[in-house]
Amino acid sequence: MRGRSLDIQMVGLIAVNLAILAAAGLTVGERFLSPFNLQSMASQVPEIGLLAMGVMLAMIAGRGGIDLSGIALANLAGICAFLILGPIADSGMSGQVYLLAFGLLSLGVGLLGGVVNGLIIGFVGVTSIIATLGTQLLFTGIAVILTGGSAQTLGYVPALDDFANSPVLGLSPSVWMFLAVAAGLALWLRATKSGRLLFLMGSNHTAARFAGVRTRWLLVQVYMLSGAFAGLAGVVIAARTSSMKWDYGSSYVLVAILIAVMAGVRPEGGYGRVICVVLSATALQLLSSYFNFLALSNFVRDLAWGVLLLVFLAFSRADLSAYWSTAIRPRSKA
Amino acid sequence: MTKLTQKLTRGTAIAALALAAPLAVQAQDAKDVVTVVKITGENWFTRMEEGVDAFDAENEGVNARQVGPAQADAAQQTAIVQDLVAQGVDALAIVPMDPSTLEGALRRAKGQGITVITHEAETMVNTDIDLEAFDNTAFGEHLNKKLVECMGGEGKWTTFVGSVGSLTHMQWAAGGIANAKENHPGMELVSESNESFNDPNKAYEVARELLRTYPDIKGFQGGSAIDVIGIGRAVEEADLQDSTCVVGIGLPQDSGQYLDTGAIDGIAFWDPKDAGYVMNKLAEMAMNGEEVNDGMDLGVPGYESVSVTPGAGDGIIVRGQAWVDVDASNWQDFPF
Repeated sequence: MRGRSLDIQMVGLIAVNLAILAAAGLTVGERFLSPFNLQSMASQVPEIGLLAMGVMLAMIAGRGGIDLSGIALANLAGICAFLILGPIADSGMSGQVYLLAFGLLSLGVGLLGGVVNGLIIGFVGVTSIIATLGTQLLFTGIAVILTGGSAQTLGYVPALDDFANSPVLGLSPSVWMFLAVAAGLALWLRATKSGRLLFLMGSNHTAARFAGVRTRWLLVQVYMLSGAFAGLAGVVIAARTSSMKWDYGSSYVLVAILIAVMAGVRPEGGYGRVICVVLSATALQLLSSYFNFLALSNFVRDLAWGVLLLVFLAFSRADLSAYWSTAIRPRSKA
Repeated sequence: MTKLTQKLTRGTAIAALALAAPLAVQAQDAKDVVTVVKITGENWFTRMEEGVDAFDAENEGVNARQVGPAQADAAQQTAIVQDLVAQGVDALAIVPMDPSTLEGALRRAKGQGITVITHEAETMVNTDIDLEAFDNTAFGEHLNKKLVECMGGEGKWTTFVGSVGSLTHMQWAAGGIANAKENHPGMELVSESNESFNDPNKAYEVARELLRTYPDIKGFQGGSAIDVIGIGRAVEEADLQDSTCVVGIGLPQDSGQYLDTGAIDGIAFWDPKDAGYVMNKLAEMAMNGEEVNDGMDLGVPGYESVSVTPGAGDGIIVRGQAWVDVDASNWQDFPF
């Protein structure tokens, strides 16, 4: 449908990113474009970006796919990792080892939660919006029971804190991890058989099934990956806030969907690009920080997000690709 | 004549400019103090903004303003704080959604040399000064004494909190429970720590369920500022305003109609306007290197003789005695 190199959505998102940067540079000046602020803004992207990539995968899978359980699972993953490891002082580990163990445990819980989602949706056949709403409550409930509702304080663990906040080669390790995960996901979607079959399944589930695609296992894979992203988001959250709590980021559920839809991921399935999700997440972050710099109310920010979303929806509905010469679209993408 | 006028005007203009120039410089040098609240648009924090604005108007050397997220989510508040740190403000005065969640962001704020003042966050490690309107256990005890008096010292009663994660709410409840247990054996606590999630409708629903479960329940102690409103509505609908006692923290204008009917029997609160003002005052003092001492007078009613104790980290906790009791007779004296 859309060309690979000339993608209106991507061009539009790049333009929006640049426009906000330019506007901020002109009105706020150097402080906004200072390395410190750019790093600070970048370090805020991974947690919501990871969740948005999970939503994107679920949407691509088609039949109204969505993952509402992301942030709940991220919080649960962080909480489980902390409860298993205990405070660093008691664990006898060095900072780096602790970070690694924390990351693996959180990722593991995320994977497990994702598999639960995948089995319910793929094998029991429950619609994803209902299934993930249910598991969202389940994950939140487990997190509340495990912690009694109060925040778990991690304390100052330099290695973990540096992971989300200290730049290495210009960006914090959490941002590099996010970019690496995004690149890996793009590669998986584009270059592997499962990835290609996912687009096929999203476009026409029945056709895919009769063509011999193991749709149920593919769905399990999709939600397992989404859960893994949530697990990684759990580590980033723990590193950024030095704590874990069951209700952290309750507003992220809708923001993650907003990012995915603004990135042109088709809610009815079959299309979505990782690069657009990343650009969409950075655009929202830039806008949010810009408005904070201008001391504008956060309600104005929500309003601006809404307007942006509507503009992008309008653009993607008005099918401009018809005006695109077929000659410059070397190959169409499923 | 006209020439003279012109000259005069020009002269005045130049003089004015000359006078204004240092003022302009001074205005630029004014310290940025930003108050970050839990959520924008709630009466409590709208009232707090009055205090912040009042401080801003009275102090040339400080640019004080208030911001807050549109949704009550710790993640949104963290994002605002992080952007303010990057912006390089001089001081932050914060009412945290959840103290633990902000530790990371505030540690980095302090690392950048930003003065950090917090409110309702005694456990906060990364703060210079934490301001408490009063000792929380004493306040819970105070509320409970009013409840006991109203109930005649006996009967079933329960406590409400915004959420079990809200530290201050839990401390008030604990203070109340301790008072009832130690001094009034006739008080029977049932189904404690009901969560309203700071939503009056939720408090109303929970209170209705409690009235059904315990038809003879006599007392409610509210924790979140809106708990009494929801409980009061449930009590009024059940026509139990004469046989039950509802006491808690609340805002006069919000609770007024229920105070008049007796559905709510008494409220107490601290004035968020004063808290907002004092937080900014403490920020200014800390930036100027002035020390806050035990017994100091901060020049605001309720904060005339503050107590100073060491905080959870390197900072200090400053406590006033700033509670205000309100009932049907005097709620109209307060404009919020």
